[in-house]
Amino acid sequence: MILFLQQIINGLSVGSVYALIALGYTMVYGIIKLINFAHGEVMMAGAYFAFVVAISSRFPFPIVLFISMVMAAIVGIVIEKLAYKPLRNAPRISALITAIGVSLFLQNLTLVIFKADPKIMPVLIEKKPINIGSLQIGTVTLTTLILAIVFMVILDVFIKKTKPGKAMRAVSEDKDASVLMGINVNKTISITFAIGSALGALGGVLYGITYTQVYPTMGIMPGLKAFVAAVLGGIGLIPGAVLGGFVIGMIETISKAYISSQWSDAIVFGLLIVVLLFKPTGILGKNEKEKV
Amino acid sequence: MLKIENIDVYYDKIHAIKNVSFEVRAGEVVSLIGANGAGKTTILKTISKLMEPTHGVILFDDQPLSKLAPHQMVYLGMAHVPEGRRVFAKMTVEENLYMGAYIRKDKTHIEKDLERVFEYFPRLKERTSQPAGTLSGGEQQMLAIGRALMSKPKLLLMDEPSMGLAPLLVQEIFNIIQEIKKSGTTILLVEQNANQALQIADRAYVLETGKITMSGNAKELLNDESIKKAYLGG
Repeated sequence: MILFLQQIINGLSVGSVYALIALGYTMVYGIIKLINFAHGEVMMAGAYFAFVVAISSRFPFPIVLFISMVMAAIVGIVIEKLAYKPLRNAPRISALITAIGVSLFLQNLTLVIFKADPKIMPVLIEKKPINIGSLQIGTVTLTTLILAIVFMVILDVFIKKTKPGKAMRAVSEDKDASVLMGINVNKTISITFAIGSALGALGGVLYGITYTQVYPTMGIMPGLKAFVAAVLGGIGLIPGAVLGGFVIGMIETISKAYISSQWSDAIVFGLLIVVLLFKPTGILGKNEKEKV
Repeated sequence: MLKIENIDVYYDKIHAIKNVSFEVRAGEVVSLIGANGAGKTTILKTISKLMEPTHGVILFDDQPLSKLAPHQMVYLGMAHVPEGRRVFAKMTVEENLYMGAYIRKDKTHIEKDLERVFEYFPRLKERTSQPAGTLSGGEQQMLAIGRALMSKPKLLLMDEPSMGLAPLLVQEIFNIIQEIKKSGTTILLVEQNANQALQIADRAYVLETGKITMSGNAKELLNDESIKKAYLGG
């Protein structure tokens, strides 16, 4: 029973990282209908930013994290401006292929700068177990879970209550109508990329700390799983990304613990296929009808 | 207030608007009538800069619009009730109305204008926390008009507000337009419902396949034989 509880907590922690990354996928999809396949690499870049800051300074974890998130936000804005904005009125497949191109570019750029061998992530969060009764939770696991939830709550408040947040919702529903309200669509899209990328970087930093290393291809697998999470929950829906992330993290952890660690990825992707067979719009997705 | 001078608009190679000029003076209701596909919506979209003219000038309060970004139109005092309502379906009625006041910062006045919108459309008040997508077509039209009014416009552009509505609702919408006119807002109304549009307007222009073919006092046009034949059903 204790073991099971521990696995649940691990699952939540892993899932919260997927959820953070999935948020970036779903927010960008919501606003420009693009699957930003470079998002896993933005997450990787975030981890590298934290690595570079951590080895070249004595900044504490919160500052390292902050710098990494800001840098990743800038990377996200630049990617959108240079790669996606010129294609905004092009067929969707062009932007999708470009996203894959950006993804490969960032991986190889990192390869050139940092070489292929994994770098050891400095200890940013002191690792020691916390005992709650007979339950033992690592500080990293706990920090990951808490940070992820805090940022999700901030995001939720931002989107529901603030003007830029409402502008994001409006633009994702109807660009022309948003323009008529006086919303600067380009600025709103930039803000969306910035937030999505910063959350991705948070995921990347936590992922890097958990596995104590960073490497150029580290964004591929979590990026893919976060994408699956976003689709599973209902792409374009923010609660869907969070739900999907936790579901994927939980299933992965549980199947690693009780079924087989080799099969866990297959089980996760298999689940996606099953869900999409029965509910193509994802768990929270709705088939919307338009009134004419 | 609004001056359109010799504009041409293209959809790729299709010449949709051909050398059109007209004006709307402060305090007027001007109707632009014409059949389906005549280019009425295109003209409104060009005025609010959702489309760009290839030639010609649009002046709002004597200021050319060419250098401004589309989202800046509402800052000048222009509001557009688009064709097909285009309300934000997932947002509540209240959120939609506040989106109309997106650029405004005068909180107390915004609340007053919200009350005014609810006076025009009491039905919206009953549905403030309902998602706009769940409203009926007529209610969505009311919401679209209310949302536009929330920016406190000097000039209201309305694209087919009566489209797809039951006759009783059409009458209700036109009564409200009458009220909005009385409150001092200038209106440019695009309509297929020529009869109603001419009754409410001071002046009108007739648009046929991208060209203005007639213009004048709305009451005179209402009695014009050729207009009667083409647009008023004999």
